[in-house]
Amino acid sequence: MSETKETGEGQKKDHGVLYIGMDLGTSRTSVSASNGVRETVYSMVGYPKDVVSHKLLKKDVLFGKEALEKRLSLKLYKPLEKGVLKFTGDATMDAEAKANLKAATDLIGEAVRLAKPRKDELVYCVIGAPAEASVKNREAIIEAARAHVDSVMLCSEPFSVAYGLDWLEDVLVIDIGAGTTDMCRMHGTMPEEADQVMFDTAGDAVDAELSRRITETCKGAQFTIHMVKDIKERYGFVGEAAERCIVELPVDGKPTPFDLTDAIRAACSILIDPIVKGIHKLVATFDPEFQNRLKNRVLLAGGGSMVKGLDSAVEKAMKERLGSGKVIRIEEPIYGGANGALKIAHDMPADFWEQLK
Amino acid sequence: MAGFKETLKDAVRQLSFRTSLDSLRKKGVQQVNVLGLDRITALIEAAVHRSLKSRLVGVEREAIADATKAEFLRMLRTNEDLQRQKSEVEEQRERAEDEVDQLRRELTQQNQALQLRLEQDALGLANRYEGENAAIARKVTEVVQSLAQSGSASLSTVEQRLMELVLDVVSGERQSAEAARRTLHDREVDNLQRRIKKLNDNLVVTEQRLQLVAAQKNVDGGISSVYREVQGVAGGDGQGEKKKELMSGIFQANLKLQKKAQGGA
Repeated sequence: MSETKETGEGQKKDHGVLYIGMDLGTSRTSVSASNGVRETVYSMVGYPKDVVSHKLLKKDVLFGKEALEKRLSLKLYKPLEKGVLKFTGDATMDAEAKANLKAATDLIGEAVRLAKPRKDELVYCVIGAPAEASVKNREAIIEAARAHVDSVMLCSEPFSVAYGLDWLEDVLVIDIGAGTTDMCRMHGTMPEEADQVMFDTAGDAVDAELSRRITETCKGAQFTIHMVKDIKERYGFVGEAAERCIVELPVDGKPTPFDLTDAIRAACSILIDPIVKGIHKLVATFDPEFQNRLKNRVLLAGGGSMVKGLDSAVEKAMKERLGSGKVIRIEEPIYGGANGALKIAHDMPADFWEQLK
Repeated sequence: MAGFKETLKDAVRQLSFRTSLDSLRKKGVQQVNVLGLDRITALIEAAVHRSLKSRLVGVEREAIADATKAEFLRMLRTNEDLQRQKSEVEEQRERAEDEVDQLRRELTQQNQALQLRLEQDALGLANRYEGENAAIARKVTEVVQSLAQSGSASLSTVEQRLMELVLDVVSGERQSAEAARRTLHDREVDNLQRRIKKLNDNLVVTEQRLQLVAAQKNVDGGISSVYREVQGVAGGDGQGEKKKELMSGIFQANLKLQKKAQGGA
């Protein structure tokens, strides 16, 4: 099926099947591949606005941070919103929807390229999608991916996180993304609709709240939502502050220091209540014999889980409302979904991949 | 003015070529007349001035001389830029050609490997059948001989009947084994053919890119997967059965989704 050959440098090269696990997120798209490559890119796609910018940038399309940095010369797209493609599946969709679909296709292509597949390898990819994405949206993701891989499957994002860690029974996964927070309880079989909860209090909502608070408390401060996102990613915390968060923001062109400690704590704290409500719902409707076990096996994943102290804060709130609880933050929040999807891709039998070619 | 003279010197230097005394000797040159750079540039400048002087007068001549110098410098810079761009494009073209060559070599190797595999399989199959047939015939002969020694039936009748019986049984077994082998083999060949098709497609794309070589800067061959074939849940996995069920569930959901999408399309 495959062969091993000797290159000029005497280094062995294997050719065959490259598995890719992909976490297609609103803010970031991460890939883990069976050649050891792990990459993440901001889910942003930019196309030169006109001939002049095209000549200047010397590229047809830019992605991630590069697109963000050159956004003034680009028509910038964030093809995902609240965890799903900005695409209705309607045949009469407008030009903007079509452009978003193209951007999503290009983004998936870029993510696959980042995995560095060899030209002669078959690429089999599992993509983590939000638990409650619509059928049309799932079909659109499949179509977008088919342009770049040989076989593709979708799976629920929180499910892939749990699978990646081999926690298949009596575990509750909370995946805090930018657009949505997805929660899923695992009980050894495929999760059904009743096992999943999704809401849009997530990273973007925290950014919006922090932005509102900065406007209120920092008179004259000039900032963009991207700057707010950077501040949150650097300082985000709940509970007791380890240090004051002093951030410089321009006021009338002059960098001015502001103490954003309280604003950051308050903005990040909006995550806690809906998460605990979701846990409550999923625990209360679970088999009573296993409810206690489920409460003590709560996994926190996704970019939002990097907010410092969030695990302890959720645990504290669980103790108040549910009597007890144990929350574990996964080791690699950014790659948790992609790693799990890669493991699913690896464990999927050959026949299944063949049938979906 | 001094700057212009230096630029003129550089231009003359660039337009000149280096050669060794040995190579001149080989061409039959015994003596050479040496003309210094300063002298050449002075001669060029004097020639320009003389030419202008004979046609123009006063302020007009000075203005034209300045304009000419400026134009000369501009042309010189343009020439340098063109030279640099030319060498860059040539370098990129060479890299792209190398890549095309490499792809061609890989394609040829893949084709050869496939051909070799097919031939080996055909030969192996023929040899195996020959051996099996010989063994069957030997066994039948042994049986017939033992029957003959007993002396109860006609030797040829018994031999014929036994031969028919055994070959019939063996033929059935052979057909089923062959079908299983063919399925496995077809999948292998199918995968190789798909990979060759990908290489072919890539070759076409790369050749097209060759036309737009200026945009092609770095050629990345990719990193090989650690897996050479499709995997599946490991046999020794404690949760193996559960995982197989989960995989089946994911697959069924995807099959339904993709069939629906194809139906819709």
